[in-house]
Amino acid sequence: MIPSDRPRGAPLLEARGIGKSFGGAPVLEGVSFSLEAGRVLGLVGENGAGKSTLMNVLGGVVAPDAGRMTLGREDYRPRTPAEASSRGIAFIHQELNLHSNLSIAENLFLARLPRRRFTPFLDRGWLASRTGEILAAVGLEVSPWTPVSELAAGERQLVEIARALAADARVVILDEPTTSLGSAEIARLFALLARLKGEGRGLIYISHSLGDVLSQADDVLVLRDGAVVASGLAESFDEPSLIRHMVGRTLATVFPPRSRRRPGDPVLEVRALTRPGAFRDVSFTVRRGEVLGLSGLMGAGRTEVVRAIFGLDRIESGEVRVRGEPLTPPSPREAVARGLALVTEDRRDDGLLLEASVADNLALAALGAHARRGLIDGPGLARALAAQAGQVRLETAGGFARAAATLSGGNQQKVVLGKWLLTRPSVVLLDEPTRGIDVGAKQQVYQLVSDLADAGTAVLLVCSEIEELLGLADRILVMRQGAVVAELPPEDFDQERILAAALGGVARPEEERE
Amino acid sequence: MTRLVTRWPALGLLVLVMAGFSLGSPRFLEVPNLVNIAVQSASLGILATGMTFVLLTAGIDLSVGSLMFVSAALAGKLVVGGGSLPAAFAVVVVAGLIGGALNGIAVTRLGIKPFVVTLSTLYIGRGFALWLTETRALNLPDSLLTVGSARLAGIPVPVVAVALVLVGAHLTLERTAFGRHLYAVGADPEAARRAGLPVRRLILSAYALCGLLAALGGAVAVAQLGAVSPTFGRDREFAAISAAVLGGVSLFGGRGSVLPGVLLGALLMQTVENGLVIVNADPYLYPMVLAAVIFVAVLLDSHVRGTHP
Amino acid sequence: MSRLRSLLAGHWVALLCVVLVAVLGPVVPGFSSSANLRNVFSSLLPLLAVAVGQTLVLITGGIDLSVTAVVALASVLGARVMTADGGLLAGSPLAVPAAVALMLVIGLLVGTANGLSVSRLRMPPFLATLAVMTFVSGFAIWLTRSANIAGLPEGFRLLGAGSLGPAPAALLVVGPLALGVHLLLTRTVLGRWLFAVGGNARTARVSGVPVERVVLFAYVACAVCAAVASILYTARLETGSPVLGQRILLDVIGAVVIGGTSLFGGRGSVLGTVYGALFITLLDNGLNLMGLSSFAVLMVKGAVILAAALVDATRERLERGR
Repeated sequence: MIPSDRPRGAPLLEARGIGKSFGGAPVLEGVSFSLEAGRVLGLVGENGAGKSTLMNVLGGVVAPDAGRMTLGREDYRPRTPAEASSRGIAFIHQELNLHSNLSIAENLFLARLPRRRFTPFLDRGWLASRTGEILAAVGLEVSPWTPVSELAAGERQLVEIARALAADARVVILDEPTTSLGSAEIARLFALLARLKGEGRGLIYISHSLGDVLSQADDVLVLRDGAVVASGLAESFDEPSLIRHMVGRTLATVFPPRSRRRPGDPVLEVRALTRPGAFRDVSFTVRRGEVLGLSGLMGAGRTEVVRAIFGLDRIESGEVRVRGEPLTPPSPREAVARGLALVTEDRRDDGLLLEASVADNLALAALGAHARRGLIDGPGLARALAAQAGQVRLETAGGFARAAATLSGGNQQKVVLGKWLLTRPSVVLLDEPTRGIDVGAKQQVYQLVSDLADAGTAVLLVCSEIEELLGLADRILVMRQGAVVAELPPEDFDQERILAAALGGVARPEEERE
Repeated sequence: MTRLVTRWPALGLLVLVMAGFSLGSPRFLEVPNLVNIAVQSASLGILATGMTFVLLTAGIDLSVGSLMFVSAALAGKLVVGGGSLPAAFAVVVVAGLIGGALNGIAVTRLGIKPFVVTLSTLYIGRGFALWLTETRALNLPDSLLTVGSARLAGIPVPVVAVALVLVGAHLTLERTAFGRHLYAVGADPEAARRAGLPVRRLILSAYALCGLLAALGGAVAVAQLGAVSPTFGRDREFAAISAAVLGGVSLFGGRGSVLPGVLLGALLMQTVENGLVIVNADPYLYPMVLAAVIFVAVLLDSHVRGTHP
Repeated sequence: MSRLRSLLAGHWVALLCVVLVAVLGPVVPGFSSSANLRNVFSSLLPLLAVAVGQTLVLITGGIDLSVTAVVALASVLGARVMTADGGLLAGSPLAVPAAVALMLVIGLLVGTANGLSVSRLRMPPFLATLAVMTFVSGFAIWLTRSANIAGLPEGFRLLGAGSLGPAPAALLVVGPLALGVHLLLTRTVLGRWLFAVGGNARTARVSGVPVERVVLFAYVACAVCAAVASILYTARLETGSPVLGQRILLDVIGAVVIGGTSLFGGRGSVLGTVYGALFITLLDNGLNLMGLSSFAVLMVKGAVILAAALVDATRERLERGR
C-alpha cells in the first residue's frame, strides 16, 4: 500500500494474501487490502479479474483457499452470507435482492422479524417505527408498508442500502450500484454514501464506471487476473491510468478512428412516432453507413422508441419506413424480415437463451436463411456460425456447445451481436450495447460498431455514456421526457451541451455524468 | 365497487352466478340453501387453504386427494374397529402431517420437482388407501354423522371448522414471521436463502401443513357423507387448485391470500354446483359448467393482474 | 471412460429398461413370451403417441392436461359415426375413413382451443388445459350418457389387432409419427423455435420467432397425437368409450419426465420419451403378470416414477457440481 500522510485509525476490514481457485484454476492470488472506517475503497477490474470472487469471499458466499481476514481486531471467517451479515458486512448486489411481493419493512428485517410478546404475531408497531427512522436516514419518503413492487429502481436501491443500515452494517459493499439509475438518483445515492462515510462506516465501491469510482472513492484498488496490480489514493489515478492498469497495456485510442465514411441514402425513417406515456412526435432518419446516437437520461423514452420501431410495443400514431416502404404493423418478425436487428438493453432478460448453447443462440434469428423448406442445412449453418463468431471475436474455451449462461458478460454480448449480424441486417438498433461488460470487450464492441457503419449498415445507438456517443456517433439526438429536444452535428459535439439538452436547462457544475 | 371486482374477479363472478341461479329458481337464495352451500364448501375450503401454502412457495401438491383418502381410511378403520372419535381425529391429524412431510422431504432433500413428487404420491397414496379399504366402501358409524350435522351456537360444525381454518391460515400468512417468510421464499428463493432464511424448513412446513389440511378436509367431508367410498378424494386436487387460483393465488408463488381469496374461490365453485342441482339441471352438465366458470375466472385473473409471461 | 459416462447419461433410461427386462424375465412367468411381447407393444404404442405429443408441449414450457379428454371424446364421436348400431355412416365403406378423419379433427379443434387459450388469451397452461379437460371429458360423458358404443366395423378393429407380418398395425402408425416428431425437433426451423420458446419466450419473440404460432402448433400437434392414440385405443377396445384414457395421464407424464424432458421447457427429446414410455409399459406389464392387485400396481408405479425422478435429480446435481 502506498503510504500517505493522512492520519489512520485501525482498519475496519483487512484482507491478507487471499487466494482462491476453482477447479484448479486460480481466480485470486495473494490479494491484500485494508479498508478504513469512514473511507471509500474503489475496486476496479475487467470482468474475470476476480472482483466478484473477492466480494463473495468477503460476503461469506465462498471460503478462500488461502489468506486471512480481520474485522476490527477479530478474525473474520464467514461460512455463510447470513454469518457475514451478522458480523456487520452488507453486500448490495448488482441484481437487487429485495422481495418485491413484500413491504419495505418486511424486507428490511426479513430474517429478524420481531414478535409481540407471548404471541406468534409480528410486532407491526415496532417494525413501522424502526423502518420509518431508517427510511428517513436514506431520504426515502414512503410508507414502511409500501410493497417493494411499487417502487422505482432508484428507490429500491435505497431500500437495499436501508437494509444495510437496519443491520447496522459497518462495511457496505456496493456492486455496480448505478447501472440502472438516472442521474438524479445517482446524485441522491452519492449524497447518501457521503453520509454513511461520515458515520464511520467503510464502503467498498465496485464499478465499471471509472469516473464515478474516481469521484467517490478515497482509495482505489485495481485487480487484474486475480492479483492486485495497483492501489493507492484515488487522487493519484485518472481514467487512462486506471484503464492501463486494468488491461495491462496502454490503449492508444479508446475509440476506433473515425473513418471518412460518407452516409448514403436514408434507410430508416421515423415520422411522428407517438406512444402515450412513453414518447411523442419522434422523428428522425438514419442513413446507410451512419451511426446515429440517441442520448438522454434514463426514462427519456429512448428504449421505448427503439422497441416500438422494432414492433415490440404498440404505437398510437406515426410511421416507420424501411428503405421507403412502410413497416406496418411493426412486429419483430416483420422487422427482421425487412432487415432490422435489435440488441436489447438487458441481454439476460430477452437477448439470450441462457440455458441453450452458444450455437443455438447464435443461430436463432437467422435460421430461415440457412434452411430449405423448413429443414435446416446443418453444415452450412455451422460454417456460418463459425465465421460469425470470428467476426465478433467470440473467445470461449469449450466451443459452441457451452451454455450461454456460463459465459462472461462481454462474451454474452458478443453472442447477441453475432446472432443479429448473422441475419445480415441493414439497420441495427443497439440499446446500451456496452452495459455490464469489461473494458476489453467494450473496445471490441466499439470496433464492431465502426466496422458495421463502414460496411454500409445504418446504426441507431442508444447509449447513456456520452463519451461513447461522442466517440462513435456521426450525429447525436438528445431525448428528454419522451421528445427529441436536440440534434447535434459532429462539429457541435460537446459533452456539456448534450447533458444540458438532456436535463432541459443549464448544465449544473456538480453533475459529471449525464 | 368496480375496484373491488377488478381486484377480486371471483367476487364479481360469484355475484353473477348467484344472480343467475336465483333467476332460475327462487329456492336458491333461501337461507337453508345458502347454509347448504356453506356446509358443502367447507371441505373444499380447507383443502384449498392447505394448497395455498404450497402454491405460495411456487410448488404444487397433486396428492391432496389421495392424502384425504388415506387418512380417512386409516381413521375409518380405527372407528369401525371400535376406536373413539377423538382417537380417530388424532390419526387423521398425524396421517396428514406425515404424508405432507414426506412430500416435503422429497422436494427439499431429494431435490425432485414438486409436480413429479406429488404425482407419484398421488398414486402411491391411492393404492395404499384402496388396499386398506380392500376397494370396498367403508361405512362409518352414525356417531360420526351426528357430529357432522351438529351445530355449535347455531352454526354447522363443518362451517365452524372451515372458518377456524381460514382465519387461522390468514393470520399465519399475514401476521407471523413464518407466513411472511413463505411469501419471500415463493417470490425469490435465492434472495431468501441469502437473507439467511431457512428455506428448506419453510418449504417442508408448507407441504406438511398442506397434508394436515388435506386430511382435515377429508375428515369434514367424511363427517357429512358417513362413508369412505373407493373414489373418495378423486380429482379433489384439481378442485383445490382451481379454488385457490380462482381466489387469486398465483401458481408461480409469492402471491395470494386466504381471506378473501380462497374463501371466494371455494364458494364460487360450490355455488355453481349447488345452483345446478337447484335448477334441476342435467347432472351430466355439471362438469362442463364448472369448467366454463373456471376458464372464465382464470381468464379474467390473467388479464386483471398481469398476464402469464 | 468419460465417453461411456456421457453415453450412459443420455441413455440411462434405456439401460433401466434392459435391467428391468433382465430382472423380470426369469422371475415372471410368461414375461418373455411372444404373446406377451405383442401385449407390451399394443400397450406401448398408443401411450407413446400421446407422450410424443406431450413432449412437444413440455418443450415449449407448457403442459397439456386435456389429452385424456381428447382420447375420450374422439373415441365416442368416431364410434358414433361408424358403429353398426345406428351410426351416421353405418354400413358404408366410407365409415371408417370418415370416422378416423373426424377423430383427428377433434384433436385439431381441442388443440386449437388449448393453443389459443395459452398463446392469445395468455392463460397459464396448467389451468387452461385443466379447464378444457374438465369440459371436454364432461362433454363426452354427456353425449353418451356414460354409455359405451359398440359394434365397430371390422376394418377399424384391424387397426388395433391386425398386423403386417410381425409388426402390429399400430407400429405402422406410431413409428412414423414418432420419427416425424423427432425429425421436426432435430432438423427443422420449427423445432429450434419450439426449444427457443421454451427456453425464453421473450428472447424468442425479439429474435423474430413467431411465438404465438409456435405455441399454437405445439398444442394442436399434442391433441392430434392424442387423437391418434384414441384411434388405437378404441380399435383395441373395440368400443367407443367416454372414459377411455382416464388412467393414462400419470403414465404419460411419467414417461415424458423419466425420458428427460424438462417440466420447465427448453429441453427434451423423442428418443427419451420412447425410453420412458417403454419403461413404464414394461413395468406395468410385468407387475400385472406377477399377479399384483391393481392397487399394488398403482403404488409400485408411483414409487418407481419417484425413484426415477430421484436418479435424474441426483444426476443433474452431480453434473452441475462438475
